[in-house]
Amino acid sequence: MKAPASTSRPSLGSLLLKKQQRPFLGIDKQRAIRLFFASNSSVAIIVLVLIMLFLLREGMDFLPTYRHELETYRRAGLEFCDIINRPLAEHQALCSKLRRAASASLNTLTHTARTRRDAAYELMREVEEETRLQRAILSDALAQIPAASPEKLTRLRQEMRAATTLAAARLQTPAALTPEEGRRLQRELTLLNPEVPELPPLLAALSADYIRVDREAHATFKPLVDAVEAFEAAPDALHTLLDAMKKHARETKAHVTELHGSGKEPSHSKPVDFDLSIVPLTSGITELTAKVEEYTLLAQKTADTMPAAAGTPQAVALLAEMRARLPDHLAAMRQAAASLPAWSHSKPVSYLEVAIAFFLGDAWITNSSWQDFFGFVPLLTGSVLIALIAVLIATPFSVIAAIYTNQFASEREQEFIKPVIEFIQAIPSVVLGFIGISLLGDAIKGVSEWGWLQWIPSFPIQERLNMFNAACLLALMAVPTMYSLAEDALNNVPRSYLDASDALGATKLQTVFRVIVPAAKSGIAAAVLLGMGRVIGETMVVLLVAGNRIAIPDFSAGPGVVFQPAHTLTGIIAQELGEVSRGSAHWQALFMVGIVLFLISLLVNWCARAFVRRFELAKS
Amino acid sequence: MSADSTAKTTPPPVVQVRDMDFCYGASPALFGINLKVKYRRVTALIGPSGCGKSTLLRCINRMNDRVPSARVTKGEVLVKGKNIHDADVDLTQLRKQVGMVFQKSNPFPKSIYENVAYGLRIHGEKNKSVLDEAVERSLRQSALWDELKDRLNANALALSGGQQQRLCIARAIATLPDVLLMDEPCSALDPIATLKIEELMHRLAQEYTIVIVTHNMQQAVRVSDYTAFLHLGKLVEFAPTAEFFTNPLEKLTESYLRGTFS
Repeated sequence: MKAPASTSRPSLGSLLLKKQQRPFLGIDKQRAIRLFFASNSSVAIIVLVLIMLFLLREGMDFLPTYRHELETYRRAGLEFCDIINRPLAEHQALCSKLRRAASASLNTLTHTARTRRDAAYELMREVEEETRLQRAILSDALAQIPAASPEKLTRLRQEMRAATTLAAARLQTPAALTPEEGRRLQRELTLLNPEVPELPPLLAALSADYIRVDREAHATFKPLVDAVEAFEAAPDALHTLLDAMKKHARETKAHVTELHGSGKEPSHSKPVDFDLSIVPLTSGITELTAKVEEYTLLAQKTADTMPAAAGTPQAVALLAEMRARLPDHLAAMRQAAASLPAWSHSKPVSYLEVAIAFFLGDAWITNSSWQDFFGFVPLLTGSVLIALIAVLIATPFSVIAAIYTNQFASEREQEFIKPVIEFIQAIPSVVLGFIGISLLGDAIKGVSEWGWLQWIPSFPIQERLNMFNAACLLALMAVPTMYSLAEDALNNVPRSYLDASDALGATKLQTVFRVIVPAAKSGIAAAVLLGMGRVIGETMVVLLVAGNRIAIPDFSAGPGVVFQPAHTLTGIIAQELGEVSRGSAHWQALFMVGIVLFLISLLVNWCARAFVRRFELAKS
Repeated sequence: MSADSTAKTTPPPVVQVRDMDFCYGASPALFGINLKVKYRRVTALIGPSGCGKSTLLRCINRMNDRVPSARVTKGEVLVKGKNIHDADVDLTQLRKQVGMVFQKSNPFPKSIYENVAYGLRIHGEKNKSVLDEAVERSLRQSALWDELKDRLNANALALSGGQQQRLCIARAIATLPDVLLMDEPCSALDPIATLKIEELMHRLAQEYTIVIVTHNMQQAVRVSDYTAFLHLGKLVEFAPTAEFFTNPLEKLTESYLRGTFS
C-alpha cells in the first residue's frame, strides 16, 4: 500500500521546494514581467521630470541675465533718464484731455458751417466721381501735343457737359443745405470742367464761411486754446535737455552691447568706463531739477489761468478732471527730481530687485531701442481674467447641462446630448479662433451698439478682439471637460440616496437639488477647477482673439474691463518664442513665463484632486 | 385578551391588499395576493429569495413606480381604505404616510439634524421650533437621542452602521407615517446592532404599523405579531406569528420552516 502511494505522489518535502527556473541575465521571468510593466508606467514620470528640468535650466538662467541687463540699464544712465521720463508720460495724458476739451468747445461754434461745407464738397465729389471718364479724356486731349483739333475738343466738352448735367440732376440736396442752395449748387456743378480751376462759387463761399467761423471760434475760446498750447509747450525745455541725456545714455549702452556682442574678449577697444560716461548726466542734475521746476511752474500757471468755462458740459468735465489730476502729477515730477541726487549708477542690482522687476513688473517691452523690460503682471492679469470670465460663463452651462442629462433627460436625449457636447472637444482651437475673429467679434461689437444695452459699462465697445470674446470661446472649449466631469460626479452619487429621498415623498426636483447635487458638489467643484486648468493652458484662441495688447487692463472701467484687449502667458510664448534669438534674455524670460504657467496648472490640478479626494472620503 | 374584545376595538386594517397581480413587463411577479396589515402590529413577510416579498413591500408605497415596466395588473392596494392607485392619490402624501427603511443604511451626506428634518422640510415645514421638536421626538423614538443629542450637526456618515440604520428609522418616522415599511433592515448589521433594532421595533409598534421583510425566520419570530409566507409570487400562508410557527396549516410552510425545502 505504501509503496505505490509514494511513487504516484511527490513527497511533501519536494512540493515545498522552489520550482527550478532558468534566470535570464540574473532576472527570473516573474521579475522581468514586473519590470517591463513598471518601466512603462515610469516613462511618463521620467518624461515629466525631464520637462521640468529642461524648463528650469532654461528659465533659471533668466535671473542672472536680466540682472545683467538691468545693471547695464543703470550703469549707462538709462534709469537716470527714466526717473524723469516716466512721470512725464502723464503730461501726454493731460494734454490729450485738454485738446479734447478745446476741440469739443470749438466744435459747438463751427459745427454748422463745417457740416454745410462738407455736404457741398460731398456733392461735388459725387459729380466728379460720376464723370471721371469724360474728365480724363478731356484732360488728355487738352494736354496733347500737338493740340487736338478744335472740333474734337468741342465734342469732348459737350460730352463732359452732358455727363455733369446728368450727374448733377441726380443729386439730392442734403439736410444741411437749403433747397435753394441745393438747386444753385446743382446748376454750378453742371459747369464743372477740368479747364475751370476755380471752385463753384457757392462752394467757395461756404468754405470761406467756415474759415471765418473757425477764426471767430478760436477768438471766442482764445483763453482755452492758448492754455492748451501753453500746456503742450510747457515741458519743451525739459524735453530738450532730457533728449540730449537720453541720447548720451543710449550711446553708452550701445557701446556696451557692441563690446559684449563682438565676443568675450573686447580686444580692439577698451571696456566702457561707466564712471566717466555717467558724468554728463550726473553733472546735469542741477540743470535738470531747474528745468523740472520750471515745467511745474509753467504747467501750474497755465492751469491757474485756464478758464473753467468751455463749450460743452463734457469739455468742462474734462477740464475739471485735468485740473484735479495736475497736482499729483506735478508732485510726482518734483519728487522724481528730488530723488535724482540719491541715485547712483554704481549701486549693484540685487536678485530681489530682479525678481520684483519680473514678478511685479507692470510692463513687458521687447525689441525696444531704449530698454527691454520683462514684467510679468500684464500677462498674468490677462490670463487670469480671461480664465475667470471663461469659467464664469462655462460653469452654469455645463453644470446645468450635466444635471439635466444625468437626472431629467430620457435615455434617447442622453444618447444625443452627451456625444454632441463631447464633440465640442474635437473642434480644433484654431477654427474656434476664426469664429472669434470673423463672427463673434462683430457680433459682440454689434450688440454693444444697441441702444437699450447702453447701461452696460463701457458699451459700445471699441475693440472687436477683446478678453470677453476670447473668454466666450474658451468657455465653449471648457464646457466638454466640465460637463463630463460634473456628470461623472452626479453619476457617482449612490442610488440609495435617491431611494431614501423618494421614499420620503420628495419630488424629483427636491431630490435633485437637496440631495443629489449637494452630494456631488465637491466633484462638481473639481470639474470646474479642471475646466479652469484647461482654459488657462489654452493658447491658440487667446492668441488669435484676445487682442494681444500687452498692458494691464484698466480696472477703473469696472466690469467693462472685460471688453478690453489683453495678452496672455500662453499667447506671449507662442507669439514671441519663434522670433527671439536662442539664449537671449527675452528667450529666457519666455521660459520663465513657461515655468510659472506650469506651476499654475500644477496648482489648479492639485486643488481639483484635493476636492475629489474629499468627495470620495465623504462617500465611503 | 379574548378574540371578541380585540375584534371590537381593532380599527380596520391599515393596509389591505386585495387579489393583487403584479408584473415586471411581461413576467408576472406576484399572483392573487390578499393581505391585511393590522393597526399597530408588526407583520413579517418571509420566504425564499426571489419569492416576491420585497416587491410586495414596495407595492405598498408604490416604490415600484420607478421601474418603468412594473405595474399592478389586477386587484388593488388600499392604505387606510383608499386605493393608492386611484388617479387622485398624491404620491408625495402617500409616501409621507408610508415610510420606508432600506436594507442598507442610507443616510444623506448631511448633518444628523438635517437628515431627520429632511422629510419635514420637503413637505414645506420651515418653522424652526417645529423642526427641532420633530427631530428630538424622532431621535428619542429611535433610541438615538441620548447618544447623539450633543452632536446633531455632525455628519451622519460618521456614525456606526447600526446608528446609521436607526437614524434612517428616525428619518422615516419624523413625518409621523401610519405605516413603516422595513426591507431587511438588519441584514447588513452585526448581532448587537440587530438586537437594538429589534428592541426598537417592539417599541415603535406601539405607535406605528410595521411591515418587515426578513430572510431570518428567528427574527420574524422575535419581532412580529403576524407572519406571511410567500413562495414563487404567491402568498402561501398568513397567520398570527405564534400559530404560524407552531402550527402551520400549509405543507409548503411546514417544509420551509423545517428547512427541508426543495
